[in-house]
This record gives sequence, structure tokens and C-alpha cells, in this order.
Amino acid sequence: MSSCCDPVTDAKPQRGAITVALAGNPNSGKTTIFNGLTGLRQKVANYPGVTVERKTGRCQLPDGTWADVIDVPGTYSLISRSPDELVAMEVLRGLRTDTKTPDLVIVVVDASNLQRNLYLVSQLIELGRPMVVALNMMDVAERRGLKVSPEVLQRELGVPVVPVVGHKRQGMDQLKAAIANAAVARMPDWPLPEPMKEELLLVGGGLAILDSEANAAARVAPPDARPQSSWRSRRDKPTKPQLGDAVPPRAWICGDTNDRRLDRYEALAERLLIGDRAGELNDIARQEPVASLLTSATDRLQQLGIEPMQADIEAHYRWIDGLAHRVVTVDRQPEASSIDAAQTEQAPPEARRVEPGRTLTQRVDAILIHKIWGLLIFALIMATLFVTIFWAAAPIMTGISASIDALGALLTSRLSGPLKDLLKDGIFAGVGAVIVFVPQIALLFLFLAVLEDSGYLARAAFLMDRVLAKVGLHGKSFIPLLSSFACAIPGIMATRTIENRKDRLATILVAPFMSCSARLPVYTLLIGTFFAAWGAAAQAGIMLALYALGIVAAAATAWIFKRSLLRGPAPAFILEMPSYKLPQLSQVARQVWTNTRAFITKAGTTIFCLSIILWAMAYYPRLPEHRVQQIRATAMDGKASEKEAIASADNAVSAAQSEYSIAGRMGHAMEPVIKPLGYDWKMGVGLVGAFAAREVFVSTMGIIYSVGQVEDETGGLSSAMRQDRYANGRPVWTPLVAVSLLVWFVLAMQCMSTVAIVRRETGGWRWPIFMIVYMNGLAYVVSLIVYQVGSLLLRV
Amino acid sequence: MQKACSFVACNHCGTPDTCALNKLGIGCRGTVFAVGGDPEVRRRLLEMGFCNGASVEVIRRAPLGDPIEFRLRGYHLSLRDEQARHVQIVPA
Repeated sequence: MSSCCDPVTDAKPQRGAITVALAGNPNSGKTTIFNGLTGLRQKVANYPGVTVERKTGRCQLPDGTWADVIDVPGTYSLISRSPDELVAMEVLRGLRTDTKTPDLVIVVVDASNLQRNLYLVSQLIELGRPMVVALNMMDVAERRGLKVSPEVLQRELGVPVVPVVGHKRQGMDQLKAAIANAAVARMPDWPLPEPMKEELLLVGGGLAILDSEANAAARVAPPDARPQSSWRSRRDKPTKPQLGDAVPPRAWICGDTNDRRLDRYEALAERLLIGDRAGELNDIARQEPVASLLTSATDRLQQLGIEPMQADIEAHYRWIDGLAHRVVTVDRQPEASSIDAAQTEQAPPEARRVEPGRTLTQRVDAILIHKIWGLLIFALIMATLFVTIFWAAAPIMTGISASIDALGALLTSRLSGPLKDLLKDGIFAGVGAVIVFVPQIALLFLFLAVLEDSGYLARAAFLMDRVLAKVGLHGKSFIPLLSSFACAIPGIMATRTIENRKDRLATILVAPFMSCSARLPVYTLLIGTFFAAWGAAAQAGIMLALYALGIVAAAATAWIFKRSLLRGPAPAFILEMPSYKLPQLSQVARQVWTNTRAFITKAGTTIFCLSIILWAMAYYPRLPEHRVQQIRATAMDGKASEKEAIASADNAVSAAQSEYSIAGRMGHAMEPVIKPLGYDWKMGVGLVGAFAAREVFVSTMGIIYSVGQVEDETGGLSSAMRQDRYANGRPVWTPLVAVSLLVWFVLAMQCMSTVAIVRRETGGWRWPIFMIVYMNGLAYVVSLIVYQVGSLLLRV
Repeated sequence: MQKACSFVACNHCGTPDTCALNKLGIGCRGTVFAVGGDPEVRRRLLEMGFCNGASVEVIRRAPLGDPIEFRLRGYHLSLRDEQARHVQIVPA
């Protein structure tokens, strides 16, 4: 109940009272719980400079206050140098300046996959933040005959454990209520090997001494006169906290209150020894004498056959094994598989010999990843996806652009002059250029959401990985690349399912080579005009060759990128094969909605602005009025009917106008550059226009050749192009010019919408600009070779 | 139904009692003995649960031969041949 005197209860404050980070393994059902907590109050953005999506939301707690919820990217571990997981780690540790340090962490744990999920929990315990465990997928665990006891887990960890069923929204209120009781977990005494514990004491003591020395030096000497020997004074960024400050905040190293071991220096020593290089740890580890302290400790341990990183992980898992043993009881049911039970891992080998009953997932997998059926079904699903976004979306797209055009014409019918043209051909066409992609994007994300939520996406990657691995891509690159044959925009958006940043970037960079549907009108026009005499088979062959050229270019560039630009220690290909689930309609609908909305608001703005600019370039400067009259008079001469005369005059004026415009002048200015490829200025204008969308090339040609708006019938344009001659009588268009131009269209990056989406997906202009440079560079070189070598051969 | 393990035919291992995970036949089981490879890959494999003698079962190979699907600690995951060969297994 709210009143005017009590504005606090209902009003949504600018900032939540507390910040909650939602962490968890991939496939743990984290997203459904995020949706359950925040409802529709969500914001999707990118973390600056990285291709990682940043989702935040708002959630009202039982006491009426609001909490900001950060959906941390799904991660298996907090110690990782892969950029995607780095973001998760940085958010949780409060190292990111763009994200508020979380006050507490809700960790989503998949009860049916307890051991591996508890590994992340064990790392979060070390973080020392107040924590709540959301025990998800209890229903799945139960179906497998596993009884997971939240009470025991709560007692063992010392933090609230709330059983939830994410996809049924069960337990959300209890989870919100538990936030108030969030507690710092008890620090377990990891069963580390004794020699390692001794080394930790030793290194920790060393660090403590070094730090106190450095502190003393800092107190006596002015900042610039600190002794160079001090490992703290070499830090050249005075704005960052001093290491003396970095060591004490156990809040992000080992927790404030719960560390039962010697002290925080020991905890720091452990982070350093196991190779944790997060934030300031990197600086600390690299400075002398810390570096040599670490090296000698590592050497001593190595001689005993102990590798600190491995010993740490094994200690965590040993603790997990014990914990799982106490938390899970196996309740055998007919459907249950004996090996699925966590307990069996500890059972003697003979016990595991029993023939396991198979889970539903295994039975389904027996068909869906079958050597023959699996590939057939995969082909069928992909064909359906392709047909849907290639053909099924087309009528909706034409309908949308037609109605936007009609609406624009209707609304501007009373206007005249530049304002009318701006509204009609600039603004409405710009909106149309954005909206036209919506059916494709919505349909693709409908497919993706169903495939991903059901668990099939991992299988698709499993099936296709062999092929794509050959050129350094990932199994998950398949669907984005396939979608790019319809349009690179949804294709590039689909790369979000690829977790690894480098694999994702490589896929984004090569996706536009796939011949999209916007290239088809250009292919059809050029092939139809210049190779019609060769017969239908030859025309089809040329078309096929163009598609093949795109694929070859994509494979080759991907191969090169993964060996040069995107090289580096490739993280292991580890693909979890989640259990099959029935996709939830509400989740699917939400995915479609958020992705479509994100496209309209983020990429749409850029596309809209660019189309206005392109419109202005084709519109201004206007032909002087006297020239218009002159052209009209010439064009109307000798025409039989008045109607024909007016049409001919209109066409002549638009042709003259387009030559007079900035785009036309650019075409002329470009001529020396594109001459070696066999193009003249008219094609240059066409190329400028094609930046709005490749198919615009056809209509630009129509305007320039004064055949008016090219609709379905391109006969007039074809003959006009064939008859076009240079001043010396040489034909402007030859089959060779057409081939050179076709090659250009296959390889060049000339689609502002793709540029806009790449900017959005990669979080900056760096990659889209790189893309324009390398793709157009490649297109130029290959077209140049085609035309020059072709001319030589034809002359011989 | 259980196929015989290809362990007998495995000549690639240094120690006769262990076998690289990628050499293990489909349907075979074993326990993790050691994990090698470059540190980053090794860390990943350890963190995913390839440690402390966990039991691993080979489920299948992809139709095109690679990657390989395994069951480990109650869940399924797949690795490329390239990664699996860094995991040494004591066949059971």
C-alpha cells in the first residue's frame, strides 16, 4: 500500500540498495533464474571493448527495497585467462570499473551435476563474499534417482541454500528472501599436500616481510624517492591502490572473516603459486623479489612431484567429493543410470560394472548423434532453418518494406521539395532498412533459442566440429555461417553462442563472405545480362561458383586469422553436452524479443544514420533548375505520346541528378582507382549506393541508365548496359567486366548494416574498420587479377 | 554389449598400465591417472573434473570421427582428439 507520504515503497530508485551478482556454470539454468528474479526489468549491453554481453536487471526484495542483479557470464572457473571468463571473474571480484562491486553472490548450482558445479562454489568461497546457493534442477536430479539435500548442503557450507526449479519459477520468493540471510561461507581447510602448505607458509611470510619493509620505506621517503629495490615502488600507476593496500583487502582475495589459516599473506601466496593473475596479482607476481620467491617455491615443489595448480584443483575436488558424498543419496529408480549417480565415483570398480540403465538424454542421443541418422536429422534441421530465414522471411520482409514505403508516400503526399524527399527517401527508407531485418532476426533467434534451450546446439557443434576445426573454427560456428547465406546480420548475431572470444571473432570476420540474399539480385542481373547466351547450365554454374568462392574465401581467411591475428594459446575445446530439456515458451519468446529489440535499438540506430547520410549523398547537390529544363526539353523531343515523353524526361533528369550528386561525383572520382578492375564511373556510383544494401546496386544502375525504377523486369536495364559504349566505341560492359564485378560483390565488405552489427557485437569500431579494410582490399586485389589476367588471356 | 577396450592394442603410452584417453575404445571406462598438455589446457581439464582418479567412460565419437564424447562425474562433455590425448587413463 503506497501513499503520497511514503514514496519509497513503490518508486523504483535510480540505484538498487544492494548489488547482487548471479554466478553459475554454463547450462546451470542461470538465465532462467535471472529472468525469474528480474522479470522484464532487464538491460542488455556489452562490456566495453569485449564481445561479452552484459545483462543487468532489477528485483524487488521482500522488504520492499530494490536490488540490482548482474547476470555474470556463465563460467566453470574463476581462474582463467580466457577473456570471456575473465569478465565473470572481474565482475565477481569487483575489479571492473564499469560494474558495481557486488555486495553478495547468488550462485546457481545444477543439482543433477553437483560435483562440477561445486567447483565454482569452492572458488567463490575463497572470494569471501556473502553468498546464497540456488540449488536448481532438483527435478532433473530426482528423475535420475539422486536425492540432493539442501539442508545438508546449507549446514556444510554455512550459507543459505534454496532449492529452486528455474523453468517453473519455483522458489523465487524464497530465493529473494534468502538474500537477507546471505552469509560468508565457512572457509574449508582444503586438503592440500603438506609440502605445499609449508611452502605457502614460507612464501606468505616472505610477502609479509616484504610488504612491511615497503610500508616502512613509503612512510619515510617521499613518493618519488622510494627505494627501487622495493617491489611496491616500481608500480608506475600511482592512481591504483598501492600493493600494501592490495594485500590486505581479503575481501577479494580470501574473505574478511572466515580465513582460518595463518593470515592473508598466506592466501595471497596461494593465489600467486597456483597461477592466479587477476588484477593486481599480475603486477605483484612479476616483480622482484616476489617472482624469484615464487620460482624457488615452485621448483622445490616440483622436485617433490607437486604442481601447485594441480594440487589446488585436486584439493578442491577432494573436498567436493566428500561434500557430495554427504549431500547426495542415491535413490535408484528404473530410469536412473548408475553412473550418473555422484556416489558411484567413489564406489569400488566392481560396483560400476553393472550395466547402466540409460537416461532419456542418452536414448535421444543414440539417434540424434547417430552416424547416419544423426547427420540426416542435422541436415534436415539446418535445411529447415535455412529455408525459413531465406524464403519464409522474404514475403514478410517485402511486405514490411512495401508498407513502410506506402506509409512514407502517404504521409508525405501533401509535402513537396527536399523535405518530402528527406522524409520519404531518407527517413522512411532508413527506418525500412532497419525493420526489414526484423523478420529474419526474429526467426533465426526463434530457432537458436529452441536449439540452445533444448540442448541440441551442443550436439550440432559436436557433429560439425571436425569440418570447421580444419580451418581453425569451432563447431558452433556452423549455424552463424549457414545463417549468413541468408543475411550476415542474423548470422553475426548468432555467433553469441560461441563462448570463446577468438573463435567468435574469427567467425564474425569471415561470415560476410557467405553470399547473402542481398547479393542475389546483383548476381542475377549480371549473369542474366552477360551470360544469357551461354545457356542455363552455364549460368547456374557461374552462380554456384560465386557461392563457392565465398566459402573458399571464408575458409582461407579464417585459417589465416587463427594463425596470425587471433593466434595464441587456444583454450581447450571443451564442449559440455547438457541433458535435453523441453524449451520453455516464455524463455524462447524472451530470447527472440531481447535480441530483436537489441538489434533495433543498438545496430538500428547506426543503420538509420548511415542510410540518411547515403540518401543525402545521392540527393545533394541538386541540379540547377535551368539544367533540369534543358534536359527535360531534350528528352521529350521526338516522343510520340505525351506519357512516354514525360517518363523519358523524368528518367533523364534522375540520371543527370545522380551524376551531379555527391555519389555521382564520388563515382567519377573513384574512376582512376576502379579503372584497373574494368569499372567505369557508373559502376562506381553503383558501388557507393550498394553500401546501403547490396541490391541497391541494381536500382542505382536503373537510375543511371535512365530506365527508371527497376522492378521485376530488368530487360530494359540489360540492353542499356549491353549497349553502353565508351567514347572510343569500346563497350563499357563485357563478360569479363561482369565477372570482375561479381568477384567484387562476393568478396567486398560493402554493407553498412553488417558494419553496424559488427560494431555492436564487438563493442567498438576497431573490428568493423578492420573488416572493411581487409575484405575490400582482398576484393580489390582479386578483381584486379581477374580483370587484368583475363584481358591478357582474351587478347592472346 | 560392452565392447572390448582397445587398451591391448595401445602402443602409444609410456607406462604400460595407462593409456591416452583418445585411444580408449567406445564404451570403455577408466580412471584418470594424469593430465598433461600445455598449462592452460591442463588447468581446464583438471577444473572440469579430470582429476583425483575420477572415472571416465567413452560414450561415442562424432560421426566424422572427432570430437569424442565422455561421461565424467555424472555429466557429459566432449573433447577433441587433440585434447583427449593429454589425459592418461588407467583402463578399468
